[in-house]
Amino acid sequence: MECPSKASLALTGLAVAFLALAMAFHLEIWGRYEPPPALPRVDPSFTNTSTVRTSLAELKRTGGDTSEFACNACHEVGDHARKLRLDEKGSVILPDAHSELVMRHGRSNRNDNCFNCHDEANREMLRTRDGRMLKLEESTMLCASCHGPTYRDWESGIHGRTSGFWKRDLGPIVRKDCADCHDPHAPAFPSVKTAPGPHGLHQKQEKGKFHG
Amino acid sequence: MDRRSFLRTSAVVAAGIAAIAAGLAPLRDLKNFESVEEFLQKHYKELTPEEMKQALERISREVERQYGLRPHVRDLKPMDGVEFAYALNLTRCIGCRKCVHACVAENNQSRNPEIQYIRVLKMPNGTLDMEKGDHNYATESVPEKGFFYMPVQCHQCHNPPCVKVCPVEATWQESDGITVIDYDWCIGCRYCEAACPYWARRFNFTEPSIPRDQVNPNMAYLGNRPRHQGVMEKCHFCIQRTREGKYPACLEVCPTGARKFGNVLDPNSEISQILKNKRVFVLKEEVGTLPRFFYYFDV
Repeated sequence: MECPSKASLALTGLAVAFLALAMAFHLEIWGRYEPPPALPRVDPSFTNTSTVRTSLAELKRTGGDTSEFACNACHEVGDHARKLRLDEKGSVILPDAHSELVMRHGRSNRNDNCFNCHDEANREMLRTRDGRMLKLEESTMLCASCHGPTYRDWESGIHGRTSGFWKRDLGPIVRKDCADCHDPHAPAFPSVKTAPGPHGLHQKQEKGKFHG
Repeated sequence: MDRRSFLRTSAVVAAGIAAIAAGLAPLRDLKNFESVEEFLQKHYKELTPEEMKQALERISREVERQYGLRPHVRDLKPMDGVEFAYALNLTRCIGCRKCVHACVAENNQSRNPEIQYIRVLKMPNGTLDMEKGDHNYATESVPEKGFFYMPVQCHQCHNPPCVKVCPVEATWQESDGITVIDYDWCIGCRYCEAACPYWARRFNFTEPSIPRDQVNPNMAYLGNRPRHQGVMEKCHFCIQRTREGKYPACLEVCPTGARKFGNVLDPNSEISQILKNKRVFVLKEEVGTLPRFFYYFDV
């Protein structure tokens, strides 16, 4: 029997190796691509553009329920009789009818005197410190009477929300009033629910690490 | 050549061809096989109006086949006398991440795996060291005491490193300042991702998936049309909105009004007012990218 040459040995070896590779590829021994596990859908509340609260002006525009603002349903116009009761620290004690109010306006809650903003004689009116009378839905101008720099920023569009068109000749810009975001009795912006964070490609959620 | 060596060589060649054929097996699973039309399409800047019309028609057909709805795809050009800039008030931002999800919904990003253009970093008060930032925070409600929140997205740099490194010129800066990507020209090398100092670019490692009912049909060629596996994408200031005069989606959804956008060439725009009156800064100023995305604090 003739001795197989080196070349033929090498060729046989290659053929075997190739066939083994073909089998391996065919049987997918390195595993198949698995689609990532399903992720929960993001709650639509995280993509809606509504404001955190609704001002009276907005309620009137959209025909909402304004019964909360019918002060004179209980109060009598011209009734000066009621005096504010103060506790030993000088803070206003809320009357029972308004106990649901949270008073947190100003540093250390010092702006808690009802009649700093509301008119004493007609509760459905607002009164600035310089004596101008404003309707309840005109509260933005009341806020402006103390918060000058913020009002200046709001006027130029820097403070507060905007939507619509940045290019005014193509469409209108929509602005929001102070009370659309701030509760006049507790103006600090409220805490809100956090939208879900990112899910890394391999679902590794290591807290505090830069790469997910 | 004798009979024996011929047979031996043939056996090796046949085995080799079998191995190659088996190795190409993954091609059997290739979905959305790119049409010849897309493959032969020219670079965005070389397309004639007629060819652009055909390309938009092809994109519409593809979207209709994949998502079952007829989109409104346009090629929106930059406006004359407009240069966009963005400003973000870090005193106002509360870290709610609504911008992240509004962006995903507007720009047809993949929902699974997730691709998000905006990353919100939770930063401890008193530092701007981004290494201390955490973007995986999962508290029930925000803001938390002792932290501020810094959303980061594409800064639309005036001197963009991502554009310089692209070997095929698939990404470039337009005259209104937006750095765009031709998704049909991108080869997926990810050089731009590596070059970006803000980690603003995202890569489609797999075929993106969007639920059919969540596709935004208002699309632009350089903007939010659906992408394929293997291409880069990033924030483009909502080109399909802003080049029609509207605000970007992240700005409209922001509950606190921390986000401001506009034309810096218009002295009365909000953005010009901010640049004039607030102490703005840019992120990583020292790398010389000259971002069009500004941050500021106020009272």
